[in-house]
Amino acid sequence: MSSSPLLHAIPRNALLWLLIAQALVIAPHLFHIPPWIAGLWLFCALWRVQVYRSRWSLPRAIVKLAMMVSAAFAVYVSRGSLVGLDAGVALLITAFTLKLVELRSRRDALVLVFLGFFAVVTGYLYDDSLLAALYSLLPVAALLTAWAGLQQAAGSRQSPRISLGLSLRLLGQAIPLALLLFVFFPRLEPLWSLPQPAEKGRTGLSGQMSPGDIAELSQSTELAFRATFDGEIPAKNQLYWRALTLPLFDGRSWRMASFGTDLLPGQWRKQGASQAYSVIMQPSRQPWLFSLDISESTQADVRMLGDFRLQRNRPVARTYLYQAEAWPQAVAEPLLSAAGRRHNLQLPRPGNPRTREWARQLREQYADDRQLVAAMLAHFNQQPYHYTLKPPLLGENSIDEFMFDTRRGFCEHYSSAMTFALRVAGIPARVVTGYQGGEINTAGNYVQVRQMDAHAWVEYWLPGSGWQRADPTFQVAPERIELGLQDALGDEVAALDNSLFSPVRYRHVAWLNKLRMGWENLNHGWQSKVLGYQRERQHAWLRQLFGEVNWQRIGIGMVAAMALLLGLLALFIIRPWQQRPAPAQRLLQDYDRLMRRRRLARSPQEGMQSHAQRIASQLDALQLQALEDFVTVYQQLQYSGDGNLQQARYALRQLWRSMSPRYLRKR
Amino acid sequence: MALQQLEKALAAVNQVVLGKETAVRMALACLLARGHLLLEDLPGMGKTTLSHALARVLGLQYQRIQFTSDLLPGDILGTTVFERDSSSFVFHPGPVFTELLLADEINRATPKSQSALLEAMEERQVTIEGTSHRLPEPFFVIATQNPVSQGGTFSLPESQLDRFLMRLSLGYPDSRAEHALLGGSGGRNQAISPEALLDKQQLLAAQQQVATVRASDALIAYVLRLAEASRNHPQLGYGLSPRGSLALLAAARAWAFLAGRDYVIPEDIQALAPAVISHRLGHAQGASHGRSADAIVHDLLDTVPAL
Repeated sequence: MSSSPLLHAIPRNALLWLLIAQALVIAPHLFHIPPWIAGLWLFCALWRVQVYRSRWSLPRAIVKLAMMVSAAFAVYVSRGSLVGLDAGVALLITAFTLKLVELRSRRDALVLVFLGFFAVVTGYLYDDSLLAALYSLLPVAALLTAWAGLQQAAGSRQSPRISLGLSLRLLGQAIPLALLLFVFFPRLEPLWSLPQPAEKGRTGLSGQMSPGDIAELSQSTELAFRATFDGEIPAKNQLYWRALTLPLFDGRSWRMASFGTDLLPGQWRKQGASQAYSVIMQPSRQPWLFSLDISESTQADVRMLGDFRLQRNRPVARTYLYQAEAWPQAVAEPLLSAAGRRHNLQLPRPGNPRTREWARQLREQYADDRQLVAAMLAHFNQQPYHYTLKPPLLGENSIDEFMFDTRRGFCEHYSSAMTFALRVAGIPARVVTGYQGGEINTAGNYVQVRQMDAHAWVEYWLPGSGWQRADPTFQVAPERIELGLQDALGDEVAALDNSLFSPVRYRHVAWLNKLRMGWENLNHGWQSKVLGYQRERQHAWLRQLFGEVNWQRIGIGMVAAMALLLGLLALFIIRPWQQRPAPAQRLLQDYDRLMRRRRLARSPQEGMQSHAQRIASQLDALQLQALEDFVTVYQQLQYSGDGNLQQARYALRQLWRSMSPRYLRKR
Repeated sequence: MALQQLEKALAAVNQVVLGKETAVRMALACLLARGHLLLEDLPGMGKTTLSHALARVLGLQYQRIQFTSDLLPGDILGTTVFERDSSSFVFHPGPVFTELLLADEINRATPKSQSALLEAMEERQVTIEGTSHRLPEPFFVIATQNPVSQGGTFSLPESQLDRFLMRLSLGYPDSRAEHALLGGSGGRNQAISPEALLDKQQLLAAQQQVATVRASDALIAYVLRLAEASRNHPQLGYGLSPRGSLALLAAARAWAFLAGRDYVIPEDIQALAPAVISHRLGHAQGASHGRSADAIVHDLLDTVPAL
């Protein structure tokens, strides 16, 4: 069987765990690596097992080279590149897989284990949710087990469970250390930036809005952000989460302004009560944040722009937590600059003549701006407009067609039409996009906003009073604002969102809903407490603990705490106050266990020999022989000082075997 | 070699003392461990027979002293007598100068005479008028005594009981042995018949071998556990002294040697503990004497983990 002794350098136990670990490591990556890698892994695993069974041999150098090159080429074909995160991870997993048929020695297997740990870490770049983190414990445990298995003698046939127990113990012992490092380890700015995984079809607000954009967004139940309020959660119809203002209109789409003035904070005056809140934002790959009107944030990397939105100095690439304070009654930009006025009255020259005519008529009718706005809103309220996710397609003069022909639309239609009309009437106005409302999680008392809560509304400017919010959608479908999209559209949403596991689908099943809320609350905690524990939070917390914070202090504190922890751990493991049971003691314990199971228990005050004599009558010749053999070796070991532990273990194993239920049955 | 001889010797003694194999073996073990033996029993149970038989088969030169209440120390140890021929005092050794001394009914003598013997037992030498005289090697004492309750006895104090390695009682023979006895076999009449099966050299060699029997750490731990338990036993006023532990270990070595082993196992300790330690334990003040020390020793053996 041992045609090449090197093959057996990796114990069976370790190989088994290596294969399990690989499967566990690769599984979550299957969401973003080319699927053929799974096939490749199965093939390599089979090869490896056959090699272990000495059926096949390891590939020769030329074959290995060919496999490597073709795998790299396949990655290139699948991903269009060999650089970048996606291709990099695919390459990593491929290498991780191919290494399997290249294992010769323990050293190779160790490399494989370390590669596995690295692959687990790369998984966090794609998914750092609670579930993913919990899952990653499985591959880590399996890798540790394989590692432990590698320490056995080659050819050892020890049960894989023993290695597993060892690795689980190690993991358990690592927990306090991990917690310590989590709390104290400095959060460094990234040394290099990694290109983020390209996520095609990732939903979220974009910098422009055309008819149908937000309706499309509304079909996604994906989480956008969660907001926790210091005080009570405001009424749902006050939860207008501003993301962007879109002042530029080209006749079809609204776009962001890119003017210099917008980059300066807007002029505003605090007024009334304020409300503090914090938001945990899901990655959006965009720099803009979501805020209630009008918010300021003390966060260093966040600032307010000219249209009162909050913007971070770099895109939100991973879950991001920020704190802000909103002044709902603040006066925003009481004085509008000439340039600002020009932007917000800008209209494309031709097009939509009927709407222009209508707006002009209204202007003639109402000299007062407020009355004009009220009349417009009343128009939407009284005319037979219909709120729907599936509006008919619109042609050249989209606003005209919507206003007077189809009259069916989603929030972007209403806000776009109203802004257009306001501008015609000479009132500076713009479209605001963001989210509206959200689901109040009763388990955790926070608001949870999904992509389907995306919304667009109107902002118009009055001299002296500044920007005012108007929401024509509210006039058409007040339940959208009061309750939420599902209640406004009911079946339409259900029909659109027909995924079996969609959380929305089961929202009327009370206990399921409760369960979902609880789970989401847990996720919220994970994101705010664990992922959100970044530099600033760490500083704040450490300041609370130690007063002034500087890295020397934290370093010293960390080292001291680690020394203490490791010391305690070592004490716990070594237990110097406790005498280690001698090997002979262990033998005795095993012997006693066997005898208890066979109902021949030795009483503690009984010596081995007296016990053997006592139970002799209940044993057959074979068992008696085994028993006598064991007693003799045991006594030699324990009392004559020239015993052999191996021999005693062997004798005990023989005794177990002779008294095994299988043998007893046969008898 | 020596072991075979010893087994033969045991068989020979058992021909005389019927049905007392264990007690005979213990008595032999006691001698092999260089200990003195105290036989305690009612008159007529075979104490003297046993001592005689042992002395004979072991090929030892032996003396017998019958202890009485008017026995004086000089009667045991010997006296210095003025000899006219050499015009000097000459020491006339007493019966104690022998290899095996049978001290019959030791508790009938006065404490003064008792302690004269007991000193000799411990020191293995006799000091008379400033001159030390070594006792021969080997030197054994097999003392017999009647139970304390019997009339005309001076019970041995604890400190002196301690000098005996073992205290054995023979007890009534079982009916089969007694039947054989009455049928004419065994008994004192035959005590003459056993021949010496060992010589002095063999006995000394055996004693040396016994001393090298191994008592491992694990076994010593057991002895310590027993001693500890005896010291904490509620019915005991005082527990086993270190000398007692040593004695137990020494006796167990001899017992293991007789079993053909060169190491002691807990069973050896258990077999000998009643004989070795029961006379070294003291009842607690005020505790009822209802339970014999023997029962308490069994108590200890039943509660202390052996391994």
